[in-house]
Amino acid sequence: MPASISPAQAGRDQTDTPPVATLQAHDPVPITLQLRPPHRSGIEERFAPSDPQRTWDLTRNPRIARLLKDRRLQFMLILPNQIIFWTVILVGLVGTAIPGLNFGTAITWYVWFCLVFVLMVVVGRAWCVMCPFGGFGEWIQRRTFWRRTQKALGLGLKFPEPLARFGFLLPVGTFLLLTWIEEFFNIAGPGTPSDTSWMVVGIVSSALLFFLVFERRTFCRYLCPLTSLIGSVGSMGSVAGFRTKDRDVCLSCQTKDCMRGGEEGFGCPWYTWPGSADSNLYCGLCTECYKSCPSDNIGLYLQKPLTSVVQPTRRRADVAWAIALLWGLVLYQQLNALGWYATMDNWLNTHMAFPHYPNPVAYLGMIFAIAGITAGLAWLVSRAFGRKNLTFVSSGRFLDKQSQFRAFFLPIAYGMIPVVGADYFARQLPKFFQHAPRVATAVQHMVGAGGTTASTLYKVRLLSDPRIIGVQVGVIAAGTLAALWSTWKISKRELVPVSRGSVAVRAAAMTIVLAAGVLAAVLYVMMNAAD
Amino acid sequence: MTMTTTDLVPAPADQPQVTVLTDRCAGCQECVIRCPAGALSMDSARWVAVADSDLCVGCRQCVRTCPFSAITVEGPMAVAERTEPVATEPPARSTSEIRPGFASWDEALTEANRCLSCPDPTCVRGCPAHNDIPSFIKAIREGDLGKAHEVLRNTTVMPDVCSRVCDQSAQCEGSCTWSLAGGMPVSIGKLERFVADNAPVPPPAAAVPDDPAGELSVAVVGSGPAGIGAAWRLIEAGASVTVYERDETPGGLIDWGIPDFTLPKSVAHRPWDQLTAAGVDLRCGVDVTPGDVDHLLSTHDAVILANGAPVPIRPPVPGADLDGVTDATSFLKDGKAALRDAGALDLFRAAYGLSVADLGAIEQLDPAAPQVLVLGAGNTAMDVARTARRLGLRAVCVDWVAEQFAIARPDELAEARHEGIEVRFLRTLARLDGSDGRVQRATLTLTRQDRGDKRPEPLSGQTETVQADLVVMAMGYRNDAAFAPVLPGTPRRREAPSGTPDRRWLASGILANPGPEFAHHKPVGKLAMGREVGLRAAMLPYQDRVWAAGDSVVGPSTVVEAMTQGKLAAAAVIGARPSRARRANPTRVLIAYESRSGRTAEAAQIIARGLRPTGAVVRAVPLGQVDISDLSETDLLVLGTWVEGMVVTKVAPAKATQKWLASLPRLAGLRTAVFCTYGVSPKGALDTVRSQLAERGVEILTQDAFGPRKWDIEVGAAKFGARLIELAWTR
Repeated sequence: MPASISPAQAGRDQTDTPPVATLQAHDPVPITLQLRPPHRSGIEERFAPSDPQRTWDLTRNPRIARLLKDRRLQFMLILPNQIIFWTVILVGLVGTAIPGLNFGTAITWYVWFCLVFVLMVVVGRAWCVMCPFGGFGEWIQRRTFWRRTQKALGLGLKFPEPLARFGFLLPVGTFLLLTWIEEFFNIAGPGTPSDTSWMVVGIVSSALLFFLVFERRTFCRYLCPLTSLIGSVGSMGSVAGFRTKDRDVCLSCQTKDCMRGGEEGFGCPWYTWPGSADSNLYCGLCTECYKSCPSDNIGLYLQKPLTSVVQPTRRRADVAWAIALLWGLVLYQQLNALGWYATMDNWLNTHMAFPHYPNPVAYLGMIFAIAGITAGLAWLVSRAFGRKNLTFVSSGRFLDKQSQFRAFFLPIAYGMIPVVGADYFARQLPKFFQHAPRVATAVQHMVGAGGTTASTLYKVRLLSDPRIIGVQVGVIAAGTLAALWSTWKISKRELVPVSRGSVAVRAAAMTIVLAAGVLAAVLYVMMNAAD
Repeated sequence: MTMTTTDLVPAPADQPQVTVLTDRCAGCQECVIRCPAGALSMDSARWVAVADSDLCVGCRQCVRTCPFSAITVEGPMAVAERTEPVATEPPARSTSEIRPGFASWDEALTEANRCLSCPDPTCVRGCPAHNDIPSFIKAIREGDLGKAHEVLRNTTVMPDVCSRVCDQSAQCEGSCTWSLAGGMPVSIGKLERFVADNAPVPPPAAAVPDDPAGELSVAVVGSGPAGIGAAWRLIEAGASVTVYERDETPGGLIDWGIPDFTLPKSVAHRPWDQLTAAGVDLRCGVDVTPGDVDHLLSTHDAVILANGAPVPIRPPVPGADLDGVTDATSFLKDGKAALRDAGALDLFRAAYGLSVADLGAIEQLDPAAPQVLVLGAGNTAMDVARTARRLGLRAVCVDWVAEQFAIARPDELAEARHEGIEVRFLRTLARLDGSDGRVQRATLTLTRQDRGDKRPEPLSGQTETVQADLVVMAMGYRNDAAFAPVLPGTPRRREAPSGTPDRRWLASGILANPGPEFAHHKPVGKLAMGREVGLRAAMLPYQDRVWAAGDSVVGPSTVVEAMTQGKLAAAAVIGARPSRARRANPTRVLIAYESRSGRTAEAAQIIARGLRPTGAVVRAVPLGQVDISDLSETDLLVLGTWVEGMVVTKVAPAKATQKWLASLPRLAGLRTAVFCTYGVSPKGALDTVRSQLAERGVEILTQDAFGPRKWDIEVGAAKFGARLIELAWTR
């Protein structure tokens, strides 16, 4: 007998005692079950690369375990953000029109966006667990702040399959739309504070609508403008999310409480099963699976950075295309700071009678062109190095199709995640370094404790312009190195088996990644010159 | 290298088309392990389910069981049409059985071949007895009726009765996978009847020699379905069984309450013929009152109260005390007798003051015949009305519910109407009027009902009058209030418990379709889960050595439900082996604990080790894993919990413990010991546990709190175990 024993362990131990003839043993229902044995073949090879180390389970710490079991945890994480964002809405509408002095614009565009990127790169979907938009909708949908309720409010519909099959492409679409709106109204500039308020109101309203029409976190998975970015860039993070401790226990589990909901927790709002999760892509860290598992078989695992980029064996076409499009968007945002873009945009607007920047044709055209070029490079690699004797079944639905192009494009796109993530992060740095202290001034102004454009903090810059460029290039360099390392690993496992020349194909893939990094860095220098 | 993918070739339009939404298929295989057709498998590389539409039969089991709604099936169901036995047009006044069974093996086999033998058969959950339906149908397919009986006898002792009187549309057939998918289910009831009609129902099996249960003497009060189930199970275990029946003939409801045209006399009498032949001591004409229970306990080791819910519900309306107002029990008894012989017919005429023609004298219904107003439109009301019809009377049934929420069997309702019985829904009795003290007419108030779970609302001012030469109340029954002190807490409501449904039931998909069309939109899954409440209640004693089963537990129920409860109560008695002579030493000890840090679990293990030398089977189980059936077969319960809260916050037993205690049924006379572990101080935690347990009628032997140090817990638990041995075991 060990000196100390966990309840679950003790529960298992007792099963070694001779079974007593109970009435339950005569329950006819289990006797009539003739369930087929679950498929186990190849399961080890499938999940071994992405399974975190058993010892990296945070729930081994009893205090963390207790905290994660507490139903109020997520509420306590959401509540401060909820307060901040309702304040943002209110102050944006009724506060000062000076963006730098308005708490709504200052906190949102100088600090929050930057912070979200830090969270996703370090943790993954950390923002999702505390998101006030999803949190608000979920409170209403569940009719509670934190309790385990049984009846949901709303229609509880399933998201239509014809749309759901496009996975990440839908939220990429909403992200592109929101970004275009933001550019059009210069919301993040930041421009007029009330525009920021209306944007937040729009997101909250659409989130609430989706929570009331559809089940679980359909909004967060399929529509949230940030979910594709957080999901893909967040895979660099060091939190693997909630995963199974023993996959056999999950496979033989008769109740799947983590999916359907149990006594203590809801079914996974993100449609993720810890028993088969191979990345943190869709783990919202909400702890529901951990709370509901009747077998105490789920842990919260850490992982080495980039693990969820490199190790998953299933590459998703929607994620790959999302990365290409997100890459197109961030590059667009760099390119539009250059002088020639303004000329082109004006020319297009004049000929299309469109009021002002950004011209939608130029906007979407450039984004799709960049995504297309990225995919085209992958196609060239596939044509140049792909083995000829491979056959791919090319029919099927978007997510299921296979082709030689996809065999190269998907791994290469995943390898680019760090450089794309770094580029987005670098984009946020100028506002943070130049204006983050203004948040304090804005708070002072909001509560009537002074705070004007003449305040010292209002003018303080954490870093001056040339140094910011240096930091931006440094961030891109770090991202590029991470992307090169990821691509090196991914290409060895996934490109080499489908290629003729192993060294050449790896070199080609890394060249694409390196070119992307260099391009991003050069553009930051050029943007500075253009300024 | 060949890479394959799934669902690539569209299935023909006349074939089901399966689509796996690979975006959110998590590869949990809930669909794969349950697909009856083997149409689903796994793609190891992507770890998602893949479907072969060529194999799919369209039963949609996968759709119902997928936790993430990641699978869709479109197109028709690939199943043959349901075989319906050809009904011969019954003469309206015929007292012979009117519902036909399968006439030939061909018919039975054709229907049996429609069964998919589902890996997770929802029909089994829908059947109150949990008959192994796929297995007995498989036996039919193999042409082995003996084997089919062998399968059925594990769970039912009345396949011949149940197959005739059950409302299969709300039970097994309503829960059949075809029904849940929106189609026509396998005709399970008729297949069961085919087995029972074509091979004799086996008598009770001979008891195993030297079975310890052979020493038991058990009194069963009531000889209805619950009494039959209990007596059957007990006599098979070798116990001495004495059954006390208030009527002169055994069978209860199936003897007097179900007309011959639904349940032939020979079938209704078969169970008691076999039971008495097997040695059950049947004492008819003995009315056991609550005051007699103590006497029974002094002469028997255990008592099972299966005395039903005999008190008819009477509407509190003016005129209810007029002559010519009677209850369904009396009418059915007298009417059934009157249809059997002319002497009883004379008595019927005299008793009810109605001019009833001689049997066989009336071929067509006389429009001027006296009219019977039947209050209610459930199955009993249908039996009353159809009996009246066979006596040459006109009958009108009225019920305040809407027709779509009627509780009568749909086929029975259709048959009644076919026989010329008028059934009016959305009407309730407002008053009865008459002259010379004899009822003549009834005033009905119209009602409105939009939802099945809401009471109908009377519409003020909207009334109608109906002729009523005789009024029969068939609005249901309730328990005899006199037995309430003996059976505290009854009747238990047959409603699915609130809270999270049992996820094994959820996983089966029976709850996914809230109201199949075949079941007339009745919530078959919820109804089935509600029945489990009664089944579990029957396992637990209401007093020391007193169990109950059937309508006396859950109020008016069905034959199959009552029979199953009777069997379960008997099994609980056999498991508990109570003795009127002495209180036996505990042989089965359950240590149920709620632990968080592991300290309480460790204390439980120490206590378990201390008790094992007594020879008892000792199990230490986390609270979350303790089932009611565990409690029903426990002689000594040790409950342990950790204490939450600190000095400044509220100190109390762990919330999980409190929740578990709140969910406990009565555990009358169960010997119990309580302990807790604490970090700072237990304060009143033990008293809280104790008071909650006391409300359940347990006998608390001892209690103790261990802590705060690990050493204190080890020493305290060891001493606690030793003290418990002194208190619970006689030397």
